[in-house]
Amino acid sequence: MLDTALSANDFLFLAKGAGMTIFVTILSVFFGTILGIIFGVIRYQLGPYWSAPLMIVLDVFRSIPLLIQLVLTYAFLGTVLRLGLSGLTVACIVLTMYTSAYCAEIVRGGIEAVPMTLRRASRSLGMTWAQDMRNIVLPLATRVALPSWIGLALGVMKDSALVYVVQVTELLKSTQILITRLQEPLLLLMICGAFYFLISFPVARFGGYLEKRWSND
Amino acid sequence: MKTSALTLAACAATALTGPAFADKLDDIIGSGTLRCAVVLDFPPMGSRDSDNNPQGFDVDYCNDLAEALGVEAEIVETTFPERIPALVSGQVDIAVASTSDTLERAKTVGFTIPYYAFENAVVANDGVEISDWEGMKGKTVGATAGTYEAIWLQEKIEEWGEGEFRPYQNQADVFLALSQGQLDVTVSTVEVAEANVASGNFEGIKIVDKAPMVPDYVGLITLREEQGLLNYMNLFINQQVRTGRYAELYAKWVGEGTPADLTIPGVYR
Repeated sequence: MLDTALSANDFLFLAKGAGMTIFVTILSVFFGTILGIIFGVIRYQLGPYWSAPLMIVLDVFRSIPLLIQLVLTYAFLGTVLRLGLSGLTVACIVLTMYTSAYCAEIVRGGIEAVPMTLRRASRSLGMTWAQDMRNIVLPLATRVALPSWIGLALGVMKDSALVYVVQVTELLKSTQILITRLQEPLLLLMICGAFYFLISFPVARFGGYLEKRWSND
Repeated sequence: MKTSALTLAACAATALTGPAFADKLDDIIGSGTLRCAVVLDFPPMGSRDSDNNPQGFDVDYCNDLAEALGVEAEIVETTFPERIPALVSGQVDIAVASTSDTLERAKTVGFTIPYYAFENAVVANDGVEISDWEGMKGKTVGATAGTYEAIWLQEKIEEWGEGEFRPYQNQADVFLALSQGQLDVTVSTVEVAEANVASGNFEGIKIVDKAPMVPDYVGLITLREEQGLLNYMNLFINQQVRTGRYAELYAKWVGEGTPADLTIPGVYR
């Protein structure tokens, strides 16, 4: 096991793959969360009946496996609409929609967790809807939604491994390339796992820290 | 109401047929990029160098084609089963991926004339007196059980009525047996034979001759209806052979010796 053909160059190659994984994840989680908040608020405000069209679209993103979404979107944008987008762009678009679909439900759950009586109280004090949302609902809902959101972000990070199907060389794909060349699967998969752990662990710890800090009120 | 529906239909039809005038050849030249599907775990046709960049016969072939078209080449890694789906779903323009030109596949994709052919070589132990493939008569031969080569060798032994055939579990065992003298001769693809001789892992073996088996002809593929592009690629393959580039790439990636003849005696194309 110590006798390996792995070179410093290959480590750099893996690090580049990890960089791509982080890049795709940050972009998708960031925009996915913004969209998710918008969709979640719409869902809550309009009620189940009027928001049904939006929820059906979001359900499509939640129900169809990500791999299939990526391949079909890439084929549709490339061959039907002839947009000529790069694989990376398509990967970010699909992952953003995927994240927003899950995030919308988390946001809705968070808003619903704020007691209705509290919100009525804020409105009767003369707060506008926007003030109520910003000053009452946002702080309380964030605390409820944070653990699920951290879980979602870590999930998206690991799901981003699937973007290799649209020719994005991220961490897992880089590992597979090295496995093909060096024929040392166990060692390489261990290194790949360590890379993933190094990326997720700080995020998970940061989430735990925020939870602890916000809960002692 | 009736006329407006007709107008709408006419507009829709025009809108749909619009982009169809430019074919794939125009698209490639227009976009400035030729996207080639290449299988990169199939040396010497496709693999990766120590910097993990694509290399191999197929990679060079794609680069040559892109140069001829005056565009940039983009190597898209695919596996063997993914080649045709990648093409059909528009992820790549063509596949330079050692695709055997079967009639079944030709129902889905368009093949060019063969750009390469996988031939079989007769490999012998240094201590054996043999000058051509017919010298195998009466010798102890062996190959990986169940393969095309093994079946061919067994048939020959039966035909000659002398000699012995020994089956092995895998290719490495065959070459080990050959190197140790348990076998006199074996048959394997030229690429494997050259690679094993060059690797130095098997001492005392030599390539004697090519075996007179039907080679595995492989073509470039693109979408079935892209006749303009297929026409261009056919001429390109012809030019590669004519200019000596085919022999040059063979010498660079496969080894010494004559590259396979890409024509089939007695028939056009």
